[in-house]
Amino acid sequence: MSDSDSNSLNVPLKEQEEWEDVTPIPQEEEANTVCPIAYTDEYSDMMGYLRAVMAKCEVSQRALDLTGRVIKVNPGHYTVWMYRKKLVEELGTDSESELDWVTEISEIHHKNYQLWHYREALISRLLDPKTVEDLTQDQLVGHPAIRRELLFASNAIDGDSKNFHAWSYRQWIVRTYGIWDQELVFIETMINEDVRNNSAWNQRYFVLIGDGRGKSASEPEPPLEDSLADREIDYSIEKIILAPNNECPWSYITGLLLRHAPKKLYTTLLPKIQELAAAGSDYAACIASTAMYWSTLVDIYECQAKALPDQASALLDIARDACDLLASDHDPMRNRYWDFRKSQLTMSK
Amino acid sequence: MASGKEQEEDGVYGGLHVDKHVEYVKSLDKRHNEIEYWMTEHLRVSGIYWGLVALHLVGRQDTLNREQVIAYVKSCQNSDGGFGGHVGHDSHLLYTMSAVQILVMYDALDQIDGAKVVSFVSGLQDDAGEVSGDQWGEKDTRFAFISVAILSFFGATDRLNTDGIVDYVCRSMNYDGGFGSQPGGESHAAQVYTCVAALAILGRLDAVDRERLSSWLAERQVACGGLNGRPQKLEDVCYSWWVLSSLQVLGRVHWIDRARLCDFILSAQDTDAGGIADRPGDIADVYHTCFGLCGLSLAGFDKFPLEEIDPVYCMPAKIIERAGLRSWVDKIPKSWNDK
Repeated sequence: MSDSDSNSLNVPLKEQEEWEDVTPIPQEEEANTVCPIAYTDEYSDMMGYLRAVMAKCEVSQRALDLTGRVIKVNPGHYTVWMYRKKLVEELGTDSESELDWVTEISEIHHKNYQLWHYREALISRLLDPKTVEDLTQDQLVGHPAIRRELLFASNAIDGDSKNFHAWSYRQWIVRTYGIWDQELVFIETMINEDVRNNSAWNQRYFVLIGDGRGKSASEPEPPLEDSLADREIDYSIEKIILAPNNECPWSYITGLLLRHAPKKLYTTLLPKIQELAAAGSDYAACIASTAMYWSTLVDIYECQAKALPDQASALLDIARDACDLLASDHDPMRNRYWDFRKSQLTMSK
Repeated sequence: MASGKEQEEDGVYGGLHVDKHVEYVKSLDKRHNEIEYWMTEHLRVSGIYWGLVALHLVGRQDTLNREQVIAYVKSCQNSDGGFGGHVGHDSHLLYTMSAVQILVMYDALDQIDGAKVVSFVSGLQDDAGEVSGDQWGEKDTRFAFISVAILSFFGATDRLNTDGIVDYVCRSMNYDGGFGSQPGGESHAAQVYTCVAALAILGRLDAVDRERLSSWLAERQVACGGLNGRPQKLEDVCYSWWVLSSLQVLGRVHWIDRARLCDFILSAQDTDAGGIADRPGDIADVYHTCFGLCGLSLAGFDKFPLEEIDPVYCMPAKIIERAGLRSWVDKIPKSWNDK
């Protein structure tokens, strides 16, 4: 369903028979000139009639069409979205066609905030999770409503791969309908397309660990099984190799292991990245010149020193040397940070 | 901090086109022949707030007509106690915040019905502790901060379930030490600012992973000196505020190269028409003008005596002092008293 554009966007509402019974409410002319009143004609025409129908809480198809016209032109106007939602509910407008309309809007206005929340409300109404809780993940992904939402979000991501509304929306769908497996596949596709997409890496953490909803922040972090930790280490290293200066996989694997499998930092990740950097090739020299490599070493040695106090002194020495290298060669813009970090690497910690 | 004025040409100090920016802000309410002006009608109150902060920073806060602004802001209050972005727009936390901030800057908070504001804001928190922006229900950690900040102006933070707010914010902390818009959401510098600021007001900065977060923030600086908001994204002048304010609270502003950041911000000025853009060569807007100047102030730009900005409230520190709200500084964890 689209707006009744048959009445043509170019004929002002004040000249349309259908709107004869309504007196538009003009922009308030006030004594204060902080916000003066001249508008461009078309917008002024639409807004006058919108204010009028909102003021009398009119519930009608023409009001619905009008909200569509206003949103198409100015989707940031949050009040009109709320009015449209009420109209859709009271008119009993078909959710599917309304979803199509939102899709139309999203194609024009990629960065709009409101449409995501609006869409979430529509799909919740259309597909109550309780009605599908017995389906398998495959069946759920095949469900037309869910498939359409995943496609909608992935199209938005196609247009802007780091659109965080779209990624958050996917988190909502995944969590609400329990379709975690397909998300991992999606993430891998996105990372293959652009290994520097931090939103995709964040999503990977979400799929692996969840988002902690329903728990309190003070509960301890769940441990990560060895096999999963190993898998993530290998995956991250594979991606580090593609673009060593890209902070995303370094930050991901360090953050993941620190929270959920700290021992793996030094038993498994450390030897693997050292091997990468020591190979003697030009490529290895490249890895060894990145800030990320050295800063990860500092994180790992610091963690290891805490866990193995009798080796701490030697480990902290190496970590301090790494800080010096970072300050002087590999990350000089942040030299004050590295000087501080070095000062913190002491036995008393 | 700022020392004296070093004037090169009229109204320009060390490359900062102060007079042009003042003229730019003044001109904003006269652009009614531009459709853009009306497209942003729904956030007009915030536009005024950004403009007013910019003016305060350069010591020209008397530029706008105080009575007119106050009257306009008051006319944006709705019967539910909240404020819309413009006259006749539905209430939302974002615009309620801007409205209250403007009134505090004009020392006119007593001119509105504060009890109704408190009631509107406290009604937006749900049983799980999360906060919506309006009756429609969109939740975001920004609203956790805004609700706490607004109520602090009225001495009414106890009207919120503050433990719930702290928990909600903490659940939004990610593996990189940053904060997202909700639990699971990607870390983003603007969300970091709001989460850190909320914890600061509530005296719960102990919940922050100070080292990891400061390091993440310091990594926002890219080769050209500008700051981005997330890894591998473009630099943008507004992050000069979101990142630097957070670093200021954490006590780590010196971890970025401040001189290069200042150069970046100055290079994003429109030296003909005034105002600052998101990056060099783009069109200026009042939002980036405000945050560019905030960034210069926090970075210690010293060719012009910029006002000190409070990094939690994004308002002049003097005014926050006058409102009795600088106490967040005293609630910083004692263990943070290092360099």
